[in-house]
Amino acid sequence: MANEIIVEPDLQFTKDLIKAGANDLKKCYQCATCSVACRISPDNSPYPRKEMIWAQWGLKDRLLNDPDVWLCHQCNDCSTLCPRGAYPADVLKAIRKMLIQKLSWPSFMGSLVGESSMAVLALGFPALVVLLLTYFSNGFNFSSPKPVHYGQFIGYIPIQIIYTLALIFAVVSMVFSLKNYWAMLDANNPGAGQGPRKGFVPSLIEALKEILPHSTFKDCEANYIRYIAHFLTFWGMIGLLVTTAIVAFNIDILHLAPPSRSGPGTIPIKILGNVSAIAFVVGLAIMLVRRIGNPEQAGNSSYFDWFFLWIIFGTGATGLITELSRWAGSASGAYFFYMVHLMFVLALLLYLPFSKFAHLGYRTIAIAWGKSVGRNMTVPVVPNFVPPVRAEEPEAAKEATV
Amino acid sequence: MEPKTGLYIDTGYGIGEALDIEALKGVATDEFKPAVCKAESYWSDPDKIEIIKSDIASEGLKAVVIAGSSPRVYQDVFKFDGVITERINLREHVVWCQPPSHEDTQMLAEDYVRMGLTKVTKYQDKPPFTEETVKSILVIGAGAAGLSAALDAANAGYEVFLVEKEAELGGWANKFSKAFTGEPPYDQLVDSPLKSKIDAVKSNAKIKVFASSRVYAISGAPGMFDAVIRPDGPWIDELNHKQDTWLKVQLARQKQAQEGGTAEAQTEEEKAAAGGWAVGEELALDFPHEKVRVGAVVLAAGWRPEDPAKYESLGYGKYPDVITNVQMEELARNGKIKRPSDGKDVNSIAFLECREENSENPFLNNSYVTCLVTLKQAKYLRESNPNGRAYIFYENMRTPGQYEKFYQTMQDDPGVFLSTGRVLGVSGDGAGLAVEVKDSLLGERLKVKVDMVVLATGMIPVTEDSAVVNLRYRQGPFLPKNPYGFNDSHFICFPYETQRTGIYAAGCVKSPMDFQGAESDATGAALKAIQCAELVSRGEAVHPRAGDQSYPELFVTRCTQCKRCTDECPFGAYDEKPDGTPLPNPTRCRRCAICMGSCPERIISFRDHSVDMIGSMIKSVNVPDEYSEKPRVIVFICENDAYPVVDMAGINRLQYSGFVRFVPLRCLGNINLVWIADALSKGIDGIMLIGCKYGDDYQCHFVKGSELANYRVSKVAETLQRLVLESERIQLFQLSIDEYGKLPDMINGFMDTLSQFDPNPYKGF
Repeated sequence: MANEIIVEPDLQFTKDLIKAGANDLKKCYQCATCSVACRISPDNSPYPRKEMIWAQWGLKDRLLNDPDVWLCHQCNDCSTLCPRGAYPADVLKAIRKMLIQKLSWPSFMGSLVGESSMAVLALGFPALVVLLLTYFSNGFNFSSPKPVHYGQFIGYIPIQIIYTLALIFAVVSMVFSLKNYWAMLDANNPGAGQGPRKGFVPSLIEALKEILPHSTFKDCEANYIRYIAHFLTFWGMIGLLVTTAIVAFNIDILHLAPPSRSGPGTIPIKILGNVSAIAFVVGLAIMLVRRIGNPEQAGNSSYFDWFFLWIIFGTGATGLITELSRWAGSASGAYFFYMVHLMFVLALLLYLPFSKFAHLGYRTIAIAWGKSVGRNMTVPVVPNFVPPVRAEEPEAAKEATV
Repeated sequence: MEPKTGLYIDTGYGIGEALDIEALKGVATDEFKPAVCKAESYWSDPDKIEIIKSDIASEGLKAVVIAGSSPRVYQDVFKFDGVITERINLREHVVWCQPPSHEDTQMLAEDYVRMGLTKVTKYQDKPPFTEETVKSILVIGAGAAGLSAALDAANAGYEVFLVEKEAELGGWANKFSKAFTGEPPYDQLVDSPLKSKIDAVKSNAKIKVFASSRVYAISGAPGMFDAVIRPDGPWIDELNHKQDTWLKVQLARQKQAQEGGTAEAQTEEEKAAAGGWAVGEELALDFPHEKVRVGAVVLAAGWRPEDPAKYESLGYGKYPDVITNVQMEELARNGKIKRPSDGKDVNSIAFLECREENSENPFLNNSYVTCLVTLKQAKYLRESNPNGRAYIFYENMRTPGQYEKFYQTMQDDPGVFLSTGRVLGVSGDGAGLAVEVKDSLLGERLKVKVDMVVLATGMIPVTEDSAVVNLRYRQGPFLPKNPYGFNDSHFICFPYETQRTGIYAAGCVKSPMDFQGAESDATGAALKAIQCAELVSRGEAVHPRAGDQSYPELFVTRCTQCKRCTDECPFGAYDEKPDGTPLPNPTRCRRCAICMGSCPERIISFRDHSVDMIGSMIKSVNVPDEYSEKPRVIVFICENDAYPVVDMAGINRLQYSGFVRFVPLRCLGNINLVWIADALSKGIDGIMLIGCKYGDDYQCHFVKGSELANYRVSKVAETLQRLVLESERIQLFQLSIDEYGKLPDMINGFMDTLSQFDPNPYKGF
């Protein structure tokens, strides 16, 4: 029979998942409330019910090759409605973490970021790099020059070199992992490729059309505030990236002075930067406050979540404080926070492909893959209480009467 | 009238307004001339009771008849020592269900007064049956239930004889590796909890233990059972064989009787078997034995594992690593679980629910206990091997009550894989076993590779193999069984009862149950046994007519040896005398009077209930002539369920035809066909019989009563033909106690049927 499978549960995988935050996955009794409750789960073979039994049975290969785990936007409707307290959203989250770690390249980076025992090392490395950079630039002199001139506190050139290298590392690693992921999805979902398939680029464009305006995210009505928070963070980050790119272009190519030395609000770039930074920090602050203040609704937060959230929040927050310190006339404050800010930025870049940050890549790829094979994820889920009449039943009945 | 009677009509409850009380009194005084006839409201009031008592004293009344509320209420109030007390139900059966101040309502009330007053004239004054009885208790089986029953009875002050077939006490419960705690948080296992109980039994001076022994025979009756206890030996197989042969002959005879053929000649062996158990014959006790006299018996003989040979499709017998849950307990007792085939450590086990292919009840032997044992054994594996994987495939998973907590604990264990699914088969390749399952939670057919397979085989009551109690009763050595192989009783309403009075079942012989269940069950059975010993010592009936001091008396000179009473008694109360006449054992009797209904010679009667009494009551009904268009219907109702139904219909003010006259019987099986003939020849137009549901899910308090009534009524067609009457005039209805809403339609529907016929032509004869 085509559908027969030989099941060899990977007990360790189940245990790892439990450790990764899916504490209650064994409690699921397959009632499918989760799949009904989910507003964005497709009608056909919906998640997260099937993922729950796979997780219970330690079916590692299925879970890691399941693009549906990325279709989930973690609104936690399923977890709050689960009659057994199995927290399906946390299970999917843990699977995503396992996937990021499994596909991380080089692989040791996965455990460096994912294990709380490695926290000191993971945080210490970028801090040490920036400290060394600061020491060799000016020997920790936080008092001069005045007015603030960051280029003289830490030289631009070493920053450019180190951060560009880190960025290249991150991008190469990410692209490599994502390529593997795409190939893995293709190879291990043989049933999906049967229909006509779209190419990668059109699928990606279709996926981006959904991702950029957060249209699916918005469907998680139960958790609308999260949509706003993520939207602010997402677009704030893009604004900041654009700002950074323009500034770098101005400094390196046009040899203009950095905006910090041109007075506040005088040029549009500063407006873009500041508005983006505020959106970024406000969005992240909402997320943090919700996770701390309302864990029931926000879902259980694991080390993996906190690591990424604090780093990205730290990046935005220290950037803003640096600017505020400068405006307040505290040069030493500005220099100190600038140094801390650099540490956060380096950590963010280095760990992009291994931390939760990598979801921006994986989710995009998984959604794009879904588009390419025609897994329609925007069909709204309408509870269907009347099961469709199966075609073979009348025939069977006829046979019986004959 | 005789006896000297006082009639007290209650005018309360609306009776006074709905009826012409003076006319009613007139009927009584004109036709019966009672010594006292008074009508006042609420005779149950204390000061009114005083009036009755003073009447009894001053007038020397021998009988008091209260016409008012249902006899089901104020039973303690209307109780006068040494005086016959009869109740006429004018409330629920007349004014609450009929239109007030109506001619028919008045006639109904008058008929009930006639019937009530007629009834008291037929009472006989007889003391209760008493004989010298003992109160000690025999407990068969010293497992979880037997030990508890023995201890409970002994602690209540009764002498106990405890018989155990094995050398060690404790039974299965003591052989298991671990047991459930029965205590919060219900997620742990403990060592078998029986040890302290065994010690307590051994050291209890009131309990005499017979280990390595079996009951050879029990004769007698409650309060005077004689049990022969014999050391275990091969004799039991011989005895079982004899009894099985006897049973086969009985069944063949019954079948032939149903089919109307003649019985085949018995083989010599069958004759010998039947002869060996002939009642009354002296047993040849030419072997070591002990004879004890006991008042009641607790049957706690327990269970044996189901024969796994029939699960060949699951690999049993084919692969040494396919074992039963009982074998698994043995493996687990030895510490780390090793594979039977090669002694290697076991890392994975598939636990399979046993499904009997091609069976009407494929899961007959599954129970919540087998489900729990499976979960428990999964824990054995997980506790002894942290990497162990336990697969549990089931179609039914039952973990009632707090056991849900244990189920949840096991479900939470990452190494326990639970799924529904139909097991397709088990195959082996030398290295291990593969289990194939369809309809699993994973949505596909799946195959798992395992080191070992454990089959959740069921628990079979030992009464399936042997009579155990080995009764020397005319109806045979067995306790009657229900279609599922357990001894037959009304376990839902009346736990502990069996169809043999004075023998109470407890524990797994009755139904699969856990330790805690068996222990509490044993307490109940022990208390029932004590109650039985006490009641019979006072000459009173046991359940369900507990306290009834009447008993059946036989006018044996007129007996024709037809043996219907001995055959039909659901409780085997009658043995047989050498001349073929019945030998009553009053302490076995439950006073259902089914025998009274069965007797064509009408020779069986009770002091307060007889063929003549009911017949006279029927005859006392005033039947108007055929031109009056007032038909009359006698409704025989069972006292246990149908009578309360009629009362409830009245309480709910449900209205129905006023042409019916209810005649309560102890059980519908009490119906004697002569009453039907009496009624029809008197001019009664139709007869209804309302009894409990019968069949596999019977509700009869006396097991077979309504079924027997149905059988008898089916034979009445002959009588009707003789009288040239339509057979639809007699109908039997089944009603359960909560169905009072159906009563009006039932009665009115019957009246509609009758309206199609002419009036009974015998009116006025």
